[in-house]
Parts: sequence; C-alpha cells; structure tokens
Amino acid sequence: MSRRLALLAVLAVLCAGAELVAGRGMAPGAVWDVLAGGGDATERHILLQLRVPRLLVSLGAGACLAVAGLVLQSALRNPLAGPEVTGVTPGAVLGAVTATGLGLAGWDSPLAVVVAACAGGCTGAALLWLLAGRGGGDPASTAVHGVLVSAVLGGLTAMVLLVAPGELGSVVQWLIGTTEGRVWQHWHLLWPWALAWGTAAWLLAGPLTLLRCGDDTALAAGLSVRRARTLALLCAVALTAGAVAAVGALGFVGLLAPHLAVAVLGADLRVTLPGAALVGAVVVGGADAAAQLFSRLPVPALDSGRLVLPVGALTACLGAVLLLIVVRRTPDRTF
Amino acid sequence: MRTPEPDASTPPSARRRVVSAQLLLLVVLLAASSICALSLGTPRVPPHLLPGALLDGDTTLAGLVVGELRVPRLVLALIAGTCLGAAGLVLQEALRNPLAVPEMLGVSSGAALGVAAPLVLSLSLPAVVQPLLAIGGAALGGGLTLLAAGLGRGPSAVLLTGAAVAAALQAALLVLMVMADQLDLQLIYRYLLGSLSARTWDDVTGLWPWLLLSVPALVLCAPVLSVLRLGDEDARALGVRARRARLAALAIAVVLIAPVTAVCGPVAWVGFLAPHLARRFAPAAGAVRWLPWSAAWGAAVVAVADVPARLALAPVETPAGAWTALLGVPAGVALLRSGRRGSGGGRAGGGPAVGRRAVGGRAAGGPAGAPSVSAVRPGGTPAPGPRSTEGAR
Repeated sequence: MSRRLALLAVLAVLCAGAELVAGRGMAPGAVWDVLAGGGDATERHILLQLRVPRLLVSLGAGACLAVAGLVLQSALRNPLAGPEVTGVTPGAVLGAVTATGLGLAGWDSPLAVVVAACAGGCTGAALLWLLAGRGGGDPASTAVHGVLVSAVLGGLTAMVLLVAPGELGSVVQWLIGTTEGRVWQHWHLLWPWALAWGTAAWLLAGPLTLLRCGDDTALAAGLSVRRARTLALLCAVALTAGAVAAVGALGFVGLLAPHLAVAVLGADLRVTLPGAALVGAVVVGGADAAAQLFSRLPVPALDSGRLVLPVGALTACLGAVLLLIVVRRTPDRTF
Repeated sequence: MRTPEPDASTPPSARRRVVSAQLLLLVVLLAASSICALSLGTPRVPPHLLPGALLDGDTTLAGLVVGELRVPRLVLALIAGTCLGAAGLVLQEALRNPLAVPEMLGVSSGAALGVAAPLVLSLSLPAVVQPLLAIGGAALGGGLTLLAAGLGRGPSAVLLTGAAVAAALQAALLVLMVMADQLDLQLIYRYLLGSLSARTWDDVTGLWPWLLLSVPALVLCAPVLSVLRLGDEDARALGVRARRARLAALAIAVVLIAPVTAVCGPVAWVGFLAPHLARRFAPAAGAVRWLPWSAAWGAAVVAVADVPARLALAPVETPAGAWTALLGVPAGVALLRSGRRGSGGGRAGGGPAVGRRAVGGRAAGGPAGAPSVSAVRPGGTPAPGPRSTEGAR
C-alpha cells in the first residue's frame, strides 16, 4: 500500500516537472538554468513568479477537489456524488460571482471571496437536500436532481453576470476553471484553507470509512451517524469552495479522482484520503501540463496565438468519459 | 392550484370543466403577456392605442416600435415556445422519461455549439446554413447520448449519460469562449442563455420552412407516441416498430429544437415545464391530447418569461432563458413531485411520472434486448440528422 502511495507521489512530482517545462515563452533548457541559480531576469520572473505559483495552485486545487469528492461520495454512499453533481460547485461559483459583482469582495479582499463561495456551496447542497428529499436513497435520482439544481444556480449566476456585465471577461475564466495567470497571492490564499480543512477531512477518515459500510454498520460500531455526516459535508463544501475561489469550477475532478483513488488504493479512507489528494493533484497537474503543451502546438487554420486550452475543458472531457463508464458499469437495476 | 383530477371513470362533464379551466388560464396568460409585451417599455403604448399604432405603420414612432420590434419579438417567443413545448413532450413520451428534456440529452448544447463555432472562428457562412449547423450539432449531441446510453436503459442512466455528453460539449464551447475576444464573448454569452432581444421579422421568416417540415411530421407521429408509452413489448404487439418509431420521434424533436436554438439560443427548460403543465391539467389524457396543450403551454411560458426579461432591469435586457431556468426548473420539479405523489394513490396509468421506478424496472426487465440495441444502432442513429436536412433542402 505504501508502495502505491509512493508511486503516486512520484507521479505527482513527474507531473509537476512536466508542468514547469511545458509552458510557452521559454525553452525547456532555460528552466534548468534558472533552477541551478542562473538565467536572466526575465526567465527568473517567468519561472519563479508565474510558473511555480501556477503549478502549486493547480496541485493544491486538484487535491482539494479530489478530497471533497471522496468525502461526499463516502458520506452520501453515492458513487455519482461529486461536488459538480451535487450542486456544491455551481453554488460556490454563484457565491463568488455574486460577492464580486456586488462589490462585497474583490481581489483585494480574497478571504471574502472564499467565504462567499463557501456560503454559496452550502446553499447549493441545501437546495439539493430540499429537492431530492431527506432520504436521498437512489444515487442516480439524486444526481439527476443535482443537475437540475445546477441549472437553477447557473441561471442565477447568469443574472448576476448581466447585472454587472463589466466583470464578464474575468469571470468567464472562473466559470470554466483555469489555472491561467495564477500568482503567489492565490497560493497564499489557498494553502492555509486547504490545509485546515484537509486535516479535518483526514481526522474524519475513520468515521467516513464506517459510513461507507452503511448506516446500520456505522451505528452498530457506535458512530453518531448524523453528526459525522454533517461534519463531513461541511468539510467537503469548504474544500470545494476554497478550490473554486482559487481556480474556478474545474469540471468533474471531484468525480473523477476519487474513483481512481479507490480503484488504486482500496476503500480504507485512512489511506485513500491522502491518496485521493495525490490523485487529484496528478490529474489537475497533468491536465494543466497537457493543456499548456496543446496550446503550444501550432494550429495552422486559426491564428495560434489565441488558442488557449483551459484546464477545465480538459478535465471536463475526462470526467465526462468517466461518468459514462460509471453509469454503464452500475447495474441498471439500481436506477 | 388544486384541480380535480379526472380519472377514466370521471364523468365527461368534469373532464370538460378541467379542459375549460386550462383553456381559460392559458388564454388569460397569453393575452396578459401579449398585451404587456406590446404595450410596456419605452415608449409606452396604452393597449387601446395598439391597433391604431399598428395601422399607422412606419409613420409614427409608436407604430415603428410596435410593428418592427415588439410584434416580431412576441411572434418569435410564441413560435419558439410552441416548438420547445411540443419537442419536450415528444422526447418525454418517446423515451418514457419525465425528465428527458433537450437540456438533459445534450441536444441543446450540441445546437449551441453548432451556432457558436462559426461565430468565434469568424467563418462567414450564409444565413441559410446556420440552422443546418444547429441541427447538425443537436443531432450530434442527442445521437451521442443515445448511442452511449442505449435506448432500452433506465431513465436515470440515459439522463446521466446525457449530462456527461452535455458536459463534454460544454467543454468544447468553453474552449471557444476562451478564444473569443471580449465583444464576441458578450454576444456568445447572451446567446447561450437564450435571448429574444433585437430579433426582427427576418428571424421569424427564417423559421417557417422548418415549421412546414416539422408540423406534419408531428401530427403523424403523435398517435405512435401514445403507443410507445405502453412499453416496447406492448408497442410491438400493437404493430409499432418501437425502435424505429423512437428514432423518428427524436429526429422530429431535433428538427423542432434546432431552428429555434439557431435563432434565439437555448431557451432553457421550457421543454421540461410545458409537458408537465399539460399533464397536470389532464392527467388521464393520452399523448395525442397532451401535444397541443404542451405546445400552447410552451408558448405561454416563453411569452410570460420574456416580459420580465425585457423589463425587469429596464435599461439592461436579461436573457429570457435565465428566467425560464429560474422559474421553470422549480415549478417543473414541484409538478413532478406532486404528480408522483398523486399517482402513488392508485391511479393506474396516466400521471406525469408513470412511476419512474416502474419504467426503469421494465427496461431492466428486458436485458436481452439491450445488446441487440447497441449492435443495431451505430448504423441507425446518424440517420435523423442527414435525413432531416435532406428533406429540408
């Protein structure tokens, strides 16, 4: 088991390395020069002020989303519950956009954006709770209701955006999920939040493993099911909100990464939770590197300067494929 | 609102009363929204001056505004709503799934992609081709979903597959949006939310050929829909080739949705709300009776939603699609839930949610059919797009 974790860590480091050299504007060889202490001022600036924070933010956001997804899937016992499908991510986007659009928060008060995103995420989850009913027994119908909740929240976001149309250009990046242009401020905002709530999630790993076994088993083992579930949901919403505030709604990472983590590491969350964080970091880091590489490809038909592939689009495609597989593999009878 | 729910056993007089209540409500809604749409705004034209303004034509400011801006917009709203409402009912009946709406099947996203792509890539295309692109995109989205999900599978599986396909198409759209410059971005964003602003008679006339194609098809397919509702085995026993009928129904839905999407963007969730409203008022009727009501409710929904879209934040226009999403989804879900509760009380067949569980169970009960479905379809699914476009030329 520890070998697999180590393998994942190596993979994460590889992705990080790939992302450092993948961007444009700088030859890969120059990266080594700068890391060795050389390089001219421009190269140093590109690497240390642009690429490194971007790398850290993408890894951190991926880890946050993956842990949030795993916590949600375990707490709700629903293989389809990612933050995107349960209305948490659209809610967080709505919260962040509303706070920015109404002038309550901006880049000068980043914590307010995170708190607003958190409140929005809670709203989204609560809406789903209202809509799907307290029982929430059927995973697929919960997910379908989640899509409906996302539609409502998306409509609200559109309204807010149209009230404050000046924000559209910068906010679209948020709706898509991109690591383009993330700097040290974003990282300084992300890591304390992620660390605090990640630790909380890790402390909950034991109870969550019990919750995965079913309410009866958990009750028999002496767990206060309701309290554990509420805490876990709070954790998941907070982690998602942090990631959304930093990089926007990265599509389907929270659905994709936990499945990979459970497939690789098994269902004991005490091991799988850190593993899921690594998997999320690998997925987003790798997707970001791939997106940057793809952006460097010359596209003859278009003027290639404009083609920037956002990470969110890539992860959304990956996640869509995975969602298809999960839906196809789940026996039809449960639907 | 509580309406008596007529059963097969209710006396005809009660049924007639329900029909007339529905008619009354519809007429009131349509009339009110039409008058609001025509007379409110700047300049305000009081209702009693409307005929005069229309007769004046271009000579006065009021006549110009009403005749050239407000009337085409209202007409477009009504046509779009009618198409979307009818298409929603066709989809829901053909897939036997109360949540099967264009938005959930990737049809709307596909159509939007087909329209947005040439805009961003600044390819100049003749206006005639645009609906064709939208139709191609819509057929692509819907076809992908059904190909990936399999026609015979349970409702939720189809919907989740549709969500996945829609997400993938959305991702492609997002790439386009990132590539677009600020001006294009505003345009695309407004378009994607479904907006009726600044549409003229040209847009309305562009819709007619498609309507001429789809309305007869709709009339022909309506009786088949009510047979499909019984389930594949029963439909086969009655002599309907269920798979082919379903594909035809989907093709019709695509032809209904795509031109509307090409002109005013994906006006969201009308196809979800309208059929549920129609069923709510006449739970015991069949697909044939629901179809016109659903179309009428669709028109009413879009016309009503367009009034706040134009006037709520007066100098700024809000997209009608945002309003229909905001109002349509909660209302539709509420109708769905109350209908399900009602149908749990012993009504045998007609409720809005023909027991999603029962439908799923029946689909799961015939697993032998599923592999053959996926084996046959690859040749069959692309048919709706090309065939319908051929017919249009």
